[in-house]
Amino acid sequence: MALFESVFAMLYQFGDTFAFLVISCAGLAVIFGMMGVINLAHGEFIMCGAYVAASTARAGLPLPLAILAGALVAGVVGMVVERLVIRHLYHRPLDSIIATWGISLIATQGVLIVLGSTMQGVGTPLGSIDVGDRSYSLYRLVLMACALGLLGGLYLLFYHSRFGVIARATIQKPQMAHALGVNTGRMYGLTFGLGAALAGLAGGLYAPTMTMVPTMGSTFIVESFVTVVVGGADIFVGAAPAATILALIKAGLTAWYGQLFGQIGLLVTVILVIRILPGGLSGWLKGTTR
Amino acid sequence: MISSETAPRSRTRSLLARLEGPQTMGRGPAFWVAAAVAVAAAAAYPLMADAWTVGNAAYFLIWTFMAMGLGIVWGYAGALSFGQTAFFGLAGYAYGVITLNLGAAYGLTVLALVLAVAIGGLFALVIGYFMFYGRIQGVFIGIVTLSVTLVLETFMAQTAGPQWRIGEARLNGFNGMSGMPPLTLPWFGGDIVLYPGPSLYYLLLGLVVVCYLCLRIMLNSPFGNVLVAIRENPHRVGMLGYDVRLYQTLAFAIGGAFAALSGALYTAWGQYITPSSMGLTSAALPIVWVAVGGRRDITATLIGTIVVLAGFQTLTIYGSQYALVVMGALLLVTVLVAPQGLVLGAMTLLGQIFKRGKS
Amino acid sequence: MTRNRPTLAGLMAGAALALVAAAPVFAQDGPIRIGVLEDQSGDFAAATMVKVHAIELAAKEINDAGGIDGRPVELVVYDTQSDNRRYQEFMRRVLQSDKVDVVFAGFSSASREAYRPIVNQFDGLAFYNNQYEGGVCDNNMIVTGAVPEQQFSTLIPWMMEEYGPNVYTLAADYNFGQISAEWVRQIVEENGGTMAGEEFIPLGVSQFGQTIQNIQATEADFVVTLLVGAAQASYYEQAASANVGLPMASSVNVGQGYEHKRFTPPSLANMFVTTNYIEEIDSPASNAFVEKFHAMFPDEPYINQEAANSYIAMNLYKQLVERAGTTDHDAIRAVLAEGDVCFDGPSGNVCLDPKSQHMSHTIYLAKVNDDHSISFPKVWEDIKPYWLGDAGCDLTKNDPSAQYTPSSPPPAQ
Repeated sequence: MALFESVFAMLYQFGDTFAFLVISCAGLAVIFGMMGVINLAHGEFIMCGAYVAASTARAGLPLPLAILAGALVAGVVGMVVERLVIRHLYHRPLDSIIATWGISLIATQGVLIVLGSTMQGVGTPLGSIDVGDRSYSLYRLVLMACALGLLGGLYLLFYHSRFGVIARATIQKPQMAHALGVNTGRMYGLTFGLGAALAGLAGGLYAPTMTMVPTMGSTFIVESFVTVVVGGADIFVGAAPAATILALIKAGLTAWYGQLFGQIGLLVTVILVIRILPGGLSGWLKGTTR
Repeated sequence: MISSETAPRSRTRSLLARLEGPQTMGRGPAFWVAAAVAVAAAAAYPLMADAWTVGNAAYFLIWTFMAMGLGIVWGYAGALSFGQTAFFGLAGYAYGVITLNLGAAYGLTVLALVLAVAIGGLFALVIGYFMFYGRIQGVFIGIVTLSVTLVLETFMAQTAGPQWRIGEARLNGFNGMSGMPPLTLPWFGGDIVLYPGPSLYYLLLGLVVVCYLCLRIMLNSPFGNVLVAIRENPHRVGMLGYDVRLYQTLAFAIGGAFAALSGALYTAWGQYITPSSMGLTSAALPIVWVAVGGRRDITATLIGTIVVLAGFQTLTIYGSQYALVVMGALLLVTVLVAPQGLVLGAMTLLGQIFKRGKS
Repeated sequence: MTRNRPTLAGLMAGAALALVAAAPVFAQDGPIRIGVLEDQSGDFAAATMVKVHAIELAAKEINDAGGIDGRPVELVVYDTQSDNRRYQEFMRRVLQSDKVDVVFAGFSSASREAYRPIVNQFDGLAFYNNQYEGGVCDNNMIVTGAVPEQQFSTLIPWMMEEYGPNVYTLAADYNFGQISAEWVRQIVEENGGTMAGEEFIPLGVSQFGQTIQNIQATEADFVVTLLVGAAQASYYEQAASANVGLPMASSVNVGQGYEHKRFTPPSLANMFVTTNYIEEIDSPASNAFVEKFHAMFPDEPYINQEAANSYIAMNLYKQLVERAGTTDHDAIRAVLAEGDVCFDGPSGNVCLDPKSQHMSHTIYLAKVNDDHSISFPKVWEDIKPYWLGDAGCDLTKNDPSAQYTPSSPPPAQ
């Protein structure tokens, strides 16, 4: 029984980190991994989703719906931002850094001015379960399931739906897609909106577990960039193994050496992976299967 | 080409000729007269400004080195480094550790400055070697450099305990290291302590002018031409027999050394250095300055950095809470309206008007 | 929009009016200028906006009552954006360009260390009105916030008596957390307890799964949480949802970031905090203070200990200048050295200690109940900031301008 307990404890920690990496990187994987837009406002889309989810939940909407509302609003905001700003920057990826940094400044400070420096959160639902002499948050198990669902859903969407095929075609060969009659502008807008909505979903999912402040997005941004980059260009092949490896390293180091080593270990892993596998994990996986 | 029996004088002349060239904007007497007027105006500035304004202007000048360094790495060599602050911070701490151990007598602070720049530059050389010889490209360079600076920040932030000391110098964790002496020049009849004020301002102004001119010469030399060629098409440059990796690594080391110069000067200026100067926000700032000014020309980078620094500070003073919102909006407008950068755009416009006037 | 008025302009106008009113009497002196450098945007804004408001309230009261020694008070306010560099820029500006008589500045210890060399260079006078890790022995600084010996020498023995001797410390991995944890360790040992565990969390970490398990794996009787910043505050929600169920003790929560107001009950239930002021304190002085505050700032989310300290600091400065008869710093320090500079304010009677230039406090033990209301099981009056003076810092004799910690105390005289 003791063995089961400690195995469960380890799996739980791993799953917790894995879920955090997957959920927080999903939106960025679409926007940065697929579209090549370096979106420094990723954290602010997350914040947007979290704020909407928390306020609608407090207004009486059931939490799952509130989370979806957060994703929806973030997605709409994302499409507006794409139309006004990002659309002009597709051929200038490095300028998108400046633009999204600007958006991020406006969003955090704007929220601070309009809504104040903090917002009351929603409590974590579902309570806890006991395994042996330790107790675990049930909601965290839900988050792990959400992470797996998210990976599966994105795979189905991009590889087995008409939208996904057209979106990938548009982003890889815009002229060709255009010539074949695809409304490429609309596809870019939808894809960016999807990425923003996924970021909003991350915010909504984590809103019940976190402090609600305008700068809350910044705690996600490093981890999400790191996961996407380690995953490499093809996010659907790379993201899951990347999150797995990073979660193993981070959870392991945190368990044995404390949080500091977990943080530093994560960053060092990224540096080493990029050095050894410049194409990221997906490039390597594809290379070996070819 | 210079023949083998070239006299030193003509070699100097050919070096000076490289002050102008295809890689830098501005040529001909009109430009140099304007530049001289600008330097003269900058030199006369302390005569009419109060002590704070002069010290503050010196503070702006400190950051221009990091910006020019990033201009070389990003604008000319085409590798976006998101982690110039790593070299900035390392050199800042190096200056602190060395001066706290050696003291300020005999011009040792100047030695500390030189050593700090060397340490920062060497570290950049190592990181550059690691990246470019590992064939890391494009946005991945940004991620690796950002990771490096974040590792340094995370590590330094927890060094508060008394066990984290190098000789006399306590690293002092997140609160930052302080108590190091300002730059001190040995002089007859007593050291000159360069507190922020006219003397430090003149020293920095001189340093900026020298660095700027040297960079112009370097950029218009064959080395600079190859860098630009690599930015435009690395494969073709490789085919022509150049070792692309070597050029990129050297450019990165030079950029890192300039960031290190900023870091050491900043530490001497404020007698303080903190891990958060290597954090995410600090790391993004140089990119903003360079991009807003214009990254593809060293003059635009230099002017742009000072304009942005002064502009943002003014906004913070008078804009109260709205300062950050206005800054964000300015960045957006810049990217959308003047994609080359505000200063570079203005300079191009001026050049066109000037030409049209001539013809 | 009341909470976001352009503070500077409004104050200038107010001060100008005050100036007109006072002008006929002391025309040659002009106003007393007070620099205010606080974070009104960025990470720390939640806890610091209220400090600016408290200073504005005190300035208004002082001006309404005829100013300091007949001279009106004029505030020069800058937003430091939670950025150490802005502190360096603006501290120079207020001292060199605005030529203020005194500065009220700083939230984080890093920001204080960033501006302290500049205050020293220009021999300025700065009030640091924040609770912090203690140890600053500097003639140019007056500290009104509580320090560890005041908060932990009261809190830890009480908790150990109430809940048991096994203590788990969870602290932010930087100066404040490490030094506070050192204090906790020392006091636990002195009282015959044991450390069940000690864990340090890098700033900005928001996921605490492993930490929660570590705590559950020990026999801890209560957890001392010294977590700092919005990200780390996520711990409470996560610990509550994992049903850790241990009492918590803290010196930094509730009194500063009013987590009990922001989080959903009962995530903070059974937390005990030693603070020198929070708005729930039910005394006539405190209630009057809260009432005045809300009359001037109706939308204020919470009046925390730093707000009270800033308000007290303004009144202490008034007293110092009036007794010295001048704003000259040496004269002010001479008054301070007399050792009887006290003020009976919203948090009770407080006095400045001449040796360390820190302040004595009434320490309130605040308990967060299940519904996140606050009760006060215990109050300690007149707790002195004894450590610096005992360790050998004596600013009436010499000025080392350094920060000391228990493990690196002042050099023996």
